[in-house]
Amino acid sequence: MNPNAIVQAEQVTKIYDEGAVPVQALRGVSLTIEPGEFTVIAGPSGSGKTTLLNLLGALDVPTEGRVFFEGQDLSTLSRRERARLRLYKIGFVFQAYNLIPVLTALENVEFVLLLQGVPERERRRRALEVLEQLGIGELAHKRPHEMSGGQQQRVAVARAVVSRPRLVLADEPTANLDSATGARLLDLMEQLNREQGVTFVFSSHDPQVIERGRRLLWLHDGQIEREERR
Amino acid sequence: MSFRGVTGLARVAWRNLWRNRRRTLIVLSSVVVGVFVLVLFDTLNLGMVEQMLDNQLRLHIGHVQIHRQGYHANPAVERFFRKAEALRQQVAAEPEVRAVAPRVLVHGLLSSAYNNGGVQLVGVAPEAESLVTFIADQIVAGRYLTGEGSEILIGERLARKLEVRLGDRVVAMAARPDGQIGSEVFRVVGLFRTVSADFDRTMAFIPIDRARAMLGLPPDAAHELAVLLDDARQADALKARLQAALPDTLEVLTYRDVVPLLVMQRDLYAEMMYLIYLIIGVALIFGIINAMLMAVLERLPEFGVLRAIGMSEGRLFLLVSLESLLLGLLGTAIGWALSLPVYAYLARHGLDLAVFSEALAAFGVGSVIYPRLTLRVVWNAWLIIPLVAWLGALYPAWRAIHVEPVEAMRAV
Ligand SMILES: Nc1ncnc2c1ncn2[C@@H]1O[C@H](COP(=O)(O)OP(=O)(O)O)[C@@H](O)[C@H]1O
Ligand SMILES: [Mg+2]
Repeated sequence: MNPNAIVQAEQVTKIYDEGAVPVQALRGVSLTIEPGEFTVIAGPSGSGKTTLLNLLGALDVPTEGRVFFEGQDLSTLSRRERARLRLYKIGFVFQAYNLIPVLTALENVEFVLLLQGVPERERRRRALEVLEQLGIGELAHKRPHEMSGGQQQRVAVARAVVSRPRLVLADEPTANLDSATGARLLDLMEQLNREQGVTFVFSSHDPQVIERGRRLLWLHDGQIEREERR
Repeated sequence: MSFRGVTGLARVAWRNLWRNRRRTLIVLSSVVVGVFVLVLFDTLNLGMVEQMLDNQLRLHIGHVQIHRQGYHANPAVERFFRKAEALRQQVAAEPEVRAVAPRVLVHGLLSSAYNNGGVQLVGVAPEAESLVTFIADQIVAGRYLTGEGSEILIGERLARKLEVRLGDRVVAMAARPDGQIGSEVFRVVGLFRTVSADFDRTMAFIPIDRARAMLGLPPDAAHELAVLLDDARQADALKARLQAALPDTLEVLTYRDVVPLLVMQRDLYAEMMYLIYLIIGVALIFGIINAMLMAVLERLPEFGVLRAIGMSEGRLFLLVSLESLLLGLLGTAIGWALSLPVYAYLARHGLDLAVFSEALAAFGVGSVIYPRLTLRVVWNAWLIIPLVAWLGALYPAWRAIHVEPVEAMRAV
């Protein structure tokens, strides 16, 4: 096992067995994510990207194989322990339904810190700091419905990184954005990666987005077909 | 979790509450109406049962009684005490005492020319007695006692049984402490009718001096001091104080000691109020479950995100149940605010239930009811209703925490 790894998947398979026909979403995937990576999981729709990210993010458990987070086998953790791991170690950016609609941008970012039990004043200070850093300080007191999709995703990135997680997972973060806005979101993620060493793993099926990854994992029919580094 | 965390969650819960304004307002108004009805019902019910007990106490018992030691257990004619007037003055000087009536009591036989019957003869000081009990106001024929001469006041029912009318003579007989039979002739000067048929059949009032003379008691003797207080709730305190101050040869009793059954009956009526709480609580809880369930089901993807970013089941549960709890607290606050002016009005002017006056009279209650607000009513409303609201959130909250983040976010 790689002692440097943040997360490591070993021969994971995932079979969805709820419908009439079982679906094999992943067929023996192995990969290692190390600190500082800016990795894209690329592949057409249905290739298993979301499934793989869910496993890496301790949101789901594999049917076979194992996932280690900082050396710890996730299958040995309870639901509660996995939630705790996500809270403290992993940031998430989803394609949609990201922000809590009744909270302002600032409060959304604060929410993670609230769950971590950070005192209110420090919460506020850190959340504002992150928003400023990401150049969206002026959105602090806006609610999601008052923001554009691109702005919402930037706030989501801010929420994902505010507690300095070991790993940020972003599942098709630009899928609902036009290409210019999507590019700006990637700029932001790149900047965080470069300047603060935040480790990103994101997925996409958009060639424009895929080319931004420094490491590319091509997923096809639930298998890693090809890997590139740039 | 820290208190800070809870207040943070409460803020989120509060805003969530107003996402569907219409639905929240509907449930809120049902809670408001529920609390409004409960507060008025509870205070009126309590006022009524208190009034009922007090009326029964003011029929004869009073709030506190003083006897010679052992009289209550065995009310024998020879168990009288002396210096009744000095004792009366001493007790009357206590701050919470409104009036004190001395009595000479004996079971005896009352005979007319046609019939006879067992009675409780009560020798009273007419003035003092009229301050402690209602008897002077219950005269339906003739007049109340003056304390002069051989006058007797009997119940209408007893008069019918004895077949006597105003002005007729009756003979009273009773065993004296010296073992002889005392007897005396009285003239019927008045007839009374109270709420109690039993009372009207068995009680006969005569001047206390005549009673002493008939029984051969010393002129300063009495069997009982009946004490009326400003407020029945002061009885225990006064009892304790008098017991310490008076000699051991005397016993001090509160109405609880004298008529425990009446007190139990009062408590029972008061407890029946919980049935109303149950009915209203059940009516409210279904509305709350329904609204909360809708609110939860349409937000499953959002709960999925919350679980994904690491919110624990416990906190998510807390978040959802806080929404309902806040709704319950808000509804209770508004319901209270609305009911208090109505309560204040009724406390002042009373609720006139003239339509039911006959039924109420049978319960020993006047037709005007005054509500009574106690700490118990406050607790009931502030504990039970928010608790009901919280209970109504249990199932919806349970649904919320069992969301699989992966499923929930895929669902929509
Ligand atoms: N909960 C599920 N039940 C059944 N099949 C599923 C479920 N989730 C995903 N799948 C299937 O698994 C395959 C991979 O899905 P997914 O990981 O979402 O791919 P991608 O994110 O690359 O589009 C697809 O065929 C999809 O239909
Ligand atoms: Mg996907």
